[in-house]
Amino acid sequence: MGIFTKLFGKPEDIDPNALYAPMLGQAVPVTEVPDATFAEGMLGQGIAIIPSDGRVCAPCNATVENMFETGHAVSLTAENGAEILIHVGLETVSLGGKCFKIHVKNGQKVKKGQLLMEVDLEGIRAAGLDTITPVLVCNYDDFSQFEVSTGNTVTHQDTIITLSK
Amino acid sequence: MKEFTYTITDPLGIHARPAGQVAKLAKTYADTVITITKDGNAAKASQLMKLMGLGVKQGDTVLVTAEGSSEEEAIAALKAYFTDNL
Repeated sequence: MGIFTKLFGKPEDIDPNALYAPMLGQAVPVTEVPDATFAEGMLGQGIAIIPSDGRVCAPCNATVENMFETGHAVSLTAENGAEILIHVGLETVSLGGKCFKIHVKNGQKVKKGQLLMEVDLEGIRAAGLDTITPVLVCNYDDFSQFEVSTGNTVTHQDTIITLSK
Repeated sequence: MKEFTYTITDPLGIHARPAGQVAKLAKTYADTVITITKDGNAAKASQLMKLMGLGVKQGDTVLVTAEGSSEEEAIAALKAYFTDNL
């Protein structure tokens, strides 16, 4: 893509096999999440983001499967069939919705980069909870290619998972 | 087919962690179909996303059914899990 296309806001190229970072921050291996449910892959495989900003955006074009009423987690079905779970922070279900502002509803189609929820990261920390956010594909074993990219500072334009059937 | 009904007492309901644990347990009985139904909406227990999508909360009553060659064992294991954790 040339600089002019970028400057003039033409639709960006979206790789249909990529999941982009839903939050800004540091992408780390999911095994570093200090919670066995995530680290042992019980909910799926993927990465985790140590967020530096509270905006949570769609990692790809998808349908909102289940926005938890508490706003602490959302599941999406990608156009390629990937079942994605974004779980913001650990034990954040206990906040009962405090610190989370929801922007989408169940069944809604979302575009890559669309705002899903806004999170008060300071508030989560003040409650004594960890903000680390696992981003997982629940049905990863449906994909023959499944690669994760960690160790980097990521923005919404960076690929964190590449997968194809 | 074996079944039981259970009313959720856990204040947080079936959120991500218990859904993951139920799905993991259900997958150990590959030859048995385990279904969880709330208000007429059914989800296979092994399908994590669908299970979370039921949005099961404290006070909700769910029906758990198992059908297949390990239905006896499966329903006992699930009943124990629900009683101890949910």
